[in-house]
Amino acid sequence: MGIKKIEPGDLLRDTLDMLILKTLDRGAMHGYGIAEYIHERSDDALRVEEGALYPALHRLELRGLLASEWGTSDNNRRAKFYRLTAAGRKQLAEERAHWTRMSAAIARILEPA
Amino acid sequence: MGGEWPKAIWPRVKRLVQRRKLESDLEEELRFHLAMREEKNRRAGLAADDAHSAARRGFGNFTLLKERCREMWTFHSLETFWQDVKYGARMLRKNSGMTLIATLTLALGIGVNTTIFTVVNGLLLRKPPVQDADRMMIVSGIDRAAADHRDRAPVSAPDYLDWRAESNSFSDMAVTADDMFTVSGGASPERATGTRVSPNYFQVLGVAPAIGRTILPGEDQAGHDQVVILSDDLWNERFGGDPKALGRKIKINGNYYVVIGVMPPSFHLAAFPTKLWVPLVLSRDNLGGAGRGERFLTVFARLKPGMSVRQARTEMETIAQRLAEANPETNRDWGANVMSLQEYTVEDSGAQAALAFLMAAVAGVLLIACANLANLLLARNSARQREFSIRAVMGAGRIRLARQLLTESVLLALGGGCLGILVAIGSLRVLLARFNWNEDAVATAKEIVMDTNVLAFTIAISLVAALLFGLAPALQMTRRDASTGLRDGGRGTTAGRERHRLQRLLVIGQLALSIFLLVGTSLFVEGFIEELRASGGFNPHNVLTASVSLRGLEYLKPERQKQFFESVVEKLRALPGAESAVVATDIPFDFPGDVQFTVEGHPAAKPAERPHCGYFAVGPGYFATTQIPMLQGRDVTAADTGDSPPIAIVNEAFAREYFPGMNPIGRHIQIGQTGQTGGGGQPVQKWSEIVGVVGNVNEFLGQTRPRPELFVPFAANPSDLARLVMRTRTNPLSMADPLRSAVWAVDADQAVTEVRTMERAIIDSGSGDDLMTGLMGSFAGIALVMAAIGIYGVLSYLVGERTHEMGIRMALGAKPGEVMRLVIRNGMTLVGTGVAAGFAASLALPKLVAANFQLPFRSAMVLAAAPPVVILIGLVACYIPARRAMRVDPMVALRHE
Repeated sequence: MGIKKIEPGDLLRDTLDMLILKTLDRGAMHGYGIAEYIHERSDDALRVEEGALYPALHRLELRGLLASEWGTSDNNRRAKFYRLTAAGRKQLAEERAHWTRMSAAIARILEPA
Repeated sequence: MGGEWPKAIWPRVKRLVQRRKLESDLEEELRFHLAMREEKNRRAGLAADDAHSAARRGFGNFTLLKERCREMWTFHSLETFWQDVKYGARMLRKNSGMTLIATLTLALGIGVNTTIFTVVNGLLLRKPPVQDADRMMIVSGIDRAAADHRDRAPVSAPDYLDWRAESNSFSDMAVTADDMFTVSGGASPERATGTRVSPNYFQVLGVAPAIGRTILPGEDQAGHDQVVILSDDLWNERFGGDPKALGRKIKINGNYYVVIGVMPPSFHLAAFPTKLWVPLVLSRDNLGGAGRGERFLTVFARLKPGMSVRQARTEMETIAQRLAEANPETNRDWGANVMSLQEYTVEDSGAQAALAFLMAAVAGVLLIACANLANLLLARNSARQREFSIRAVMGAGRIRLARQLLTESVLLALGGGCLGILVAIGSLRVLLARFNWNEDAVATAKEIVMDTNVLAFTIAISLVAALLFGLAPALQMTRRDASTGLRDGGRGTTAGRERHRLQRLLVIGQLALSIFLLVGTSLFVEGFIEELRASGGFNPHNVLTASVSLRGLEYLKPERQKQFFESVVEKLRALPGAESAVVATDIPFDFPGDVQFTVEGHPAAKPAERPHCGYFAVGPGYFATTQIPMLQGRDVTAADTGDSPPIAIVNEAFAREYFPGMNPIGRHIQIGQTGQTGGGGQPVQKWSEIVGVVGNVNEFLGQTRPRPELFVPFAANPSDLARLVMRTRTNPLSMADPLRSAVWAVDADQAVTEVRTMERAIIDSGSGDDLMTGLMGSFAGIALVMAAIGIYGVLSYLVGERTHEMGIRMALGAKPGEVMRLVIRNGMTLVGTGVAAGFAASLALPKLVAANFQLPFRSAMVLAAAPPVVILIGLVACYIPARRAMRVDPMVALRHE
């Protein structure tokens, strides 16, 4: 694998997982919708690559955090919709708590002393 | 992934079944995303075409993404592995010729390794079949006064009792004494090795009988000791494995013993082969003060938990030192040694050096086989370069490609391994049938069986072999960058140079290894030739020998011993097919007994300084029967009895040493244990007149100087242990049964042992030297053939690759002879380099062999013999491809694009 340099704005795997879970907390959504939502909500700061999004979705589904079913999109196309499972909801709560702790800690360190 | 596995298996299995659905779902999901993007771009004002390609661009590699998602849903690594296996198997099937050669070569290499490892496993690695074998110790004496400081000396009864009472390192000690017994009654009498054991012996070892009981305390008292425990072997021989044998009586040494138990077949100590156990009765003499000097016992001791061997050794050494101070006359310079039963057994077998050599030899064979395979794969890989280049261009990673090649290698190796086990089963059967030079060897052969250790070893070396022969070609193959492979289209011009260097190195290595093996073998062959040479001096052809050790009280009388053997010899002479027969206490090649003597006119100052020599008591006509030449005087005759004036016959070495420049005939010597004189100043032993001189005969293999020997009439000096020697008119072995019957016609309770031809007796005295020679020889032979195939294969390949070049050379006017010389020169350069390297390495061998085997290194001749053999074989292997090169038709070759 090797170590990849992380550019600002790149999403780490765990962070992306958390964002997906959070996005789906609002209700079932298809992959494209998830990407667009994150893009818009972050004021265009975060861009989710498809190359990362779909493997993440499938990984989360395989772990039982997401469930999927085929439905119809707004423009009447067949699309695969993902939604949170109970396990997913629990995971989200945990990750959010963890994130809050971590970001507070990091913020304290980054603050000018 | 780790912990998610159990949970994640089910969805994967489900998808495995709905494979097609997974595929179409993925496709549709991603297409939807693409379409949404395209739509967004269009809405942003892009033209349809641009909107499409922009969406595509942003998306990255569509196929790759699909693949990555799919991988997640499948048993990816397992599935690609299975793919590799399927593809590899197909490739191997396609190249069936190569596959066959490769598998057979490997099978041979792995087979010989498995065979020798089975022997190593049986003799050196297996734990003795006793409870908690690691704590089972043998405590033995160390004789510091002896020249070789032997540390495995037996122990006397008083020492054992003191050790037992004073030591704290052991939970218990037991004691045994080996003996020979004649078992008779029922079936034909048999001489069997047996062990006298203390009553606690089986408890100390922690073994239980299969049926019946072991010895009770108190049964080691005289009068209560006539109980016996049978080995599984003896039980089957004597009672056909009938449990009703318990309580029955069996005749041992002429007395009746009650069978109280039978040990299971698994209970067999390699260092102490035995067929029966009886109680050890220690006599008053054994236990008295003088008994301390009578060392005949083996001490088994169980180490206490938490005690180390080193601690026990220190403690025993202290006790031995105290005993030495208290009993200087018997124990001075005597120490005590502690070693585990397993260690004792391994040292006892004396097989370590031989097995180390054999293991090295078979490892060499396997290496040569691997080199051949590596070359084969290198050659084949060059034909697959295109395929691999295309796969690389299509995005296959280097590791993935190397894995494909390695999977094929592993498949080949496992195939070879399976066949190799079959090879090993066959060769092991042949090998063990030849473990027959004495009873111990036969017992040893039973220890040698294939078990899970052996199977694990075989699998392990198969995999190591796969790495050895597969890794280099795989790395070499995948290192090339893809574009080169596509450009030169599989016809190596200069790009194959690196591969050629590898191939040449492999061939040189093979040749060097086979020279090494060949030299090693020739050293053992020399030992074998020595055996043949040593049999000179008499005629061992058509001679049958046997041994009888008389048992029973009546045979304590010398008169009865004489009568017995005389009657047997008389019956033997009467047999049709017998030319002559005679009794003798010893035969050549059997380490004869020793006797002290005084030469007339040369009295020794002290009894201990009297000279001694080999001693044979022989019946009338001994020299005529063995055809040892009579140089002077006469043979023993029927007139030489205990009542006639005593006579002796000496050998040439005796005459030369004690009667230099004189005629020994008519001179006198006094033969006997001591030079003491009896009452009235008369010597106990009478003076014997020398009446004949005979030629020298070797006493053991590898003997360089003949030893003085003297021969006296058996009738005047009978013995209860003697050999029968019969010269036959026909195949001596056909006389074996008549010989046994003749003995039993005189006394049906006596066992006849070591019935074998004189030639066999000579070979047996080499304790398997001939086996060693045979094994080394066959390994070197296999190595040589494999190396020859290697040279041939590589040269053929190189010639094939240079067909084009040869064609141009010929078209430009090169003569066929020149082309042929070119190829042969190429090949012989390899052969020469390999031979030189191997020969240089072999120079260390003679010393190594001489140090580990009592084989004197006599001449450089054997060393010089190996290189020409290899060079000759190399020449043949070069010649065939060279001739093919010579016959290249320039037109065909140039069209060979």
